Amino acid sequence: MQVPLAIGLVLAGSACGGGTPRSHAPLVLREVPITELRSVGDFAGITDSTARSQALFGEASRVLLHPRCINCHPAGDVPHQGMQLQLHDPPVVRGADNRGVAGMQCASCHQDRNQPMTRVPGAPNWHLAPIEMAWVGRSAGAICDQLKDPKRNGGKTLAQIVEHSAHDELVAWGWQPGADREPAPGTQQQFGALVAAWVETGAACPDNPQESR
Amino acid sequence: MTDPVQITRRSFLVALNLGVGGLALGFHTLEASADEPTGFTGPGPRPVSQAHESATAGLAPNVLVHIAADATGTTTIICHRSEMGQGVRSSLPVLIADELGAKLEHVIVRQAIGDKKYGDQNTDGSSSIRKFLDDLRRAGAAARHMLIAAAAKQWKVRPETCIALDHQVVHPPTKRALGFGALVTAASKLPVPKLGELVLRPFKELRNVNHPSLPLLDGAGYVEGKALFGADVTLPGMLIAVIARPPVVGGTVASHDRAAALAVPGVKHVIAMPAPKRPWMFQPWGGIAIVADSTWAALKGRAALAVTWDDGTHASYDSASFRDELLASVRAPGTPLRSVGDVDAAIGTAARVVEAEYLVPHLAHLPMEPPAAIARFADGKAEVWAPTQHPQAARAEVARVLGIGEDKVTINVTLIGGGFGRKSKADFSSEAAFLAREVGAPVRVQWTRADDIHNGYYNAVNAQRLRAGFDANGKLVAWHHRTAFTPIGSTFNEAVVEPSLGDLQQGVLDLPLAIPNVRAEACKAKAPVRIGWYRSVYNIFHAFAVGSFIDELAHASKLDARDMWHAVLGPARKADLNELGITKLANYGESLDRHPVDAGRLRGVIDRVTASAKWDDRKRAGRHLGLAAHRSFVAYTAVVISVVPDPVRKFRIDEAWIAMDAGTVVNIDRVHAQMEGGLIMGISNALYGGITLKRGRVEQSNFRDARIARIRDVPRRIHTDLVASEAPPSGVGEPPVPPVGAALANAVFALTGQRIREFPITRALGI
Amino acid sequence: MKIRVNGVERTLEVDPEMPLLWALRDTLGLTGTKYGCGEALCGACTVHVDGLAVRSCVTPMRRVDGKAVTTIEGLSKDGSHPLQQAWLALRVPQCGFCQTGQIMTAAALLAAKPRPNDADIDAAMAGNLCRCGTYPRIRAAIKKTAGVPRDEPGDDK
Repeated sequence: MQVPLAIGLVLAGSACGGGTPRSHAPLVLREVPITELRSVGDFAGITDSTARSQALFGEASRVLLHPRCINCHPAGDVPHQGMQLQLHDPPVVRGADNRGVAGMQCASCHQDRNQPMTRVPGAPNWHLAPIEMAWVGRSAGAICDQLKDPKRNGGKTLAQIVEHSAHDELVAWGWQPGADREPAPGTQQQFGALVAAWVETGAACPDNPQESR
Repeated sequence: MTDPVQITRRSFLVALNLGVGGLALGFHTLEASADEPTGFTGPGPRPVSQAHESATAGLAPNVLVHIAADATGTTTIICHRSEMGQGVRSSLPVLIADELGAKLEHVIVRQAIGDKKYGDQNTDGSSSIRKFLDDLRRAGAAARHMLIAAAAKQWKVRPETCIALDHQVVHPPTKRALGFGALVTAASKLPVPKLGELVLRPFKELRNVNHPSLPLLDGAGYVEGKALFGADVTLPGMLIAVIARPPVVGGTVASHDRAAALAVPGVKHVIAMPAPKRPWMFQPWGGIAIVADSTWAALKGRAALAVTWDDGTHASYDSASFRDELLASVRAPGTPLRSVGDVDAAIGTAARVVEAEYLVPHLAHLPMEPPAAIARFADGKAEVWAPTQHPQAARAEVARVLGIGEDKVTINVTLIGGGFGRKSKADFSSEAAFLAREVGAPVRVQWTRADDIHNGYYNAVNAQRLRAGFDANGKLVAWHHRTAFTPIGSTFNEAVVEPSLGDLQQGVLDLPLAIPNVRAEACKAKAPVRIGWYRSVYNIFHAFAVGSFIDELAHASKLDARDMWHAVLGPARKADLNELGITKLANYGESLDRHPVDAGRLRGVIDRVTASAKWDDRKRAGRHLGLAAHRSFVAYTAVVISVVPDPVRKFRIDEAWIAMDAGTVVNIDRVHAQMEGGLIMGISNALYGGITLKRGRVEQSNFRDARIARIRDVPRRIHTDLVASEAPPSGVGEPPVPPVGAALANAVFALTGQRIREFPITRALGI
Repeated sequence: MKIRVNGVERTLEVDPEMPLLWALRDTLGLTGTKYGCGEALCGACTVHVDGLAVRSCVTPMRRVDGKAVTTIEGLSKDGSHPLQQAWLALRVPQCGFCQTGQIMTAAALLAAKPRPNDADIDAAMAGNLCRCGTYPRIRAAIKKTAGVPRDEPGDDK
């Protein structure tokens, strides 16, 4: 998958600087390309478990905040698309069940997998995240708080969050987006491991949401 | 067209291949003029006297109306113009039927094949009614005269005492009546009346013409899915082709994987298309065709072909840098084509000078039906079914590509799923014919949407610079207009790099100006891409610039926009060539006697549209309105657009008004439909229009990036106001489009204070 | 593959990845469903699959195996569907090409929402493009079918 250079550079500016909460990281993490994730082991040197948990979440948030993921966690009723979070075109709206409205449902176009000849992205259970799971415009810290709150995470336990992150087929699409779309960084396996390690280390959230991103 | 002539049974059979007997009437026609590369600037229809002279060219007479000697007198009327949504099949035949006195339920409309015997079939330039209104009425009237004569002879009464009504000839004094079917055999033996003997019915007595609920001839087919468009014809054993065409005009194949394409199940043939030669004209683009047993297999085969290209010299074309070149072009003197007084002196001494530059990018037609054509070839003859606006051009091009005579080519015209000028071109028709011959089976060529966008004939990119001078009293004393665009003529002759007098008729030369010093200049612009005519053509950018500039002058003068339009246009009058400062005006092929440049009619639509929009009241109420007006295709149109703030998209069009004076009209509902649709196409042009090229390649590929208005972009309330007029008919299909861009930009300025001088507005506003 | 098309069981031997559109048009000869973009951007190919309005140009055949497909040819036998009648009464079509898709989407809207307002119409019809610009009449024809007033209360005329 070739990533357009301009987009890569833009991401490099935001992801490398803000992806890891520096104020809590006593050591300099190894540099990785923006298309990759650091592994859980890269955080072993952070001795304070809260700080390590926060740092692990910071790394995982590079996935959460990637357009492949937040595009379908809009703060309004219209999903986004593309690397610049354009509003979805054709214009679609959330609908009562987060699956569109009559005549214009997610499933009217999106299949259970990507359709290479037609460019339409697809995965099982294609739908919008409910409004309480809106991520667009939020910091990593705010999303972290959201993820831990059963009222805003679809009633999931932390164990279920880990399972969801590591194995959900719609989440998996973020790394196999098809066509010329840039995938989320790393792999779903790495992402799942980061979320699992974050939970194991106490599921600490970056404590200053304004600076965490 | 000239005297109606009686068709012999034999030629009738040749022409229509219908049943036997009956009365068939047609006209000797003038041989169609050679294709006019610039579309609308050709000589246009000849006066009748010239038509007489050419009528001896030996062309077979056509058949426009045939009445069968059956119980009801089933009447077949030929529609020789193409249906693309303007409603021509619901309009032209009605003229003949009404003159005849036919009942519509006994009328069958047949679509003409492409043949010079029908005269001009190029359905373009908003010309079907304005060119054929009288001729078609005469065809119906001639048949009526003969039926009445037959009845009068039988009844031994004077023909003048008989009338034709409801498919009967009636003699009211004796209350006798005979159906058309019972009369045609006798009528067909009578002499055909001379043109001068024909008496047309008073226009208002044509019963179905302008009937407000005249049905759509093809309506049921449209809503039931039975209407046949270009891709809908199925022939036994037909194969489907998609073609990998060079993305840069003039490019050639560098490499391809023929075996991989042939390995796709269903792919039958991989065929090299003939490469085009300069100038490009209507030729196919070349490339490689994949012919398969289904569209899907052909598409997969094309993907597997992995073709690469040698782009050739046109890869130098970059529309972003070309935009800068055009701006430079209009910042330097061009060729003056319109001149009154002394603009330089007037601007030099003006108390105030206002100046602005405007830009409009390439626009693509984007008909909902991508090009498609079906062909078969057997016994040295080709038969094609195509959604073509220009069946005679398709016939000529198919014959040229196949190296056979035109008499060996039959072009059947299907319904057109949107034309807008794209389907005047013959490229897709000849691709199908070529492939049918190569593979020895009927072939459908299917263009994808990306093909349509990548391999089009785009509306020219344009830059304009306008300057106006005011004297110390605020009176306009100078108007200086420069325009640079690549004329359509360049597609036919690469030496054409500057707009001509004929090109500038479209909104530059025919603009009445009550200003003592005027100059308009044509500036050079050579774009290495195929330019074609697109609904309303150069009028789009000229109306945008002039309509925006007058609004700018209003703001600069602290005048209401309508008052500034009045000041610029001056009093109601017919502006002659001398006043306009030009040597001649192409005038869309119309004489200035019949269709003068009428400042009064342009003012008239401005006054009507502002009245129906309650311009003053709404402005006082704080509504954000924009106004623009334009003369095109000898019609006059004015538009008011209202916008309201929108939190996400900055603004939304909530209401629009359009007034048009098109002279005599024939199908009032379809005219209103053209006003609605033209307004919306104008909104698409302004909001989203913009095809861009990099290294000679079009950057857009589908409706995601080549966008057009969706339902929510369109005002929920559109008010159409058509001037009731007995003036000669003007164009109708294109005139609603041009003023929309300026009206919208002016409304957006009223709302946001941001002056938009370039399409697309969405890009200018960052939305 | 077995699908029920307009009430008739059909068995098709086609590539499971072939979009339904091409099976309808090329294999079954149902040409009322149109190709306009091939990427679910224009709505000209809209049909119903088990009642859901879908873009047949991006729906692989394997996804409709065992399902019921309704095309414009099956919406009514004789053009008598109220939407088809309203479309004719208001003379909605210009070139007509997109209209079968428009009607199929509108039918799905009315099935779910028998009395739609303007916003409902905007949302449901958002995916159906019309280059001729028949949108105002499409809106009016849907409202006429639904028996709702053409202008909503509170509209400033």
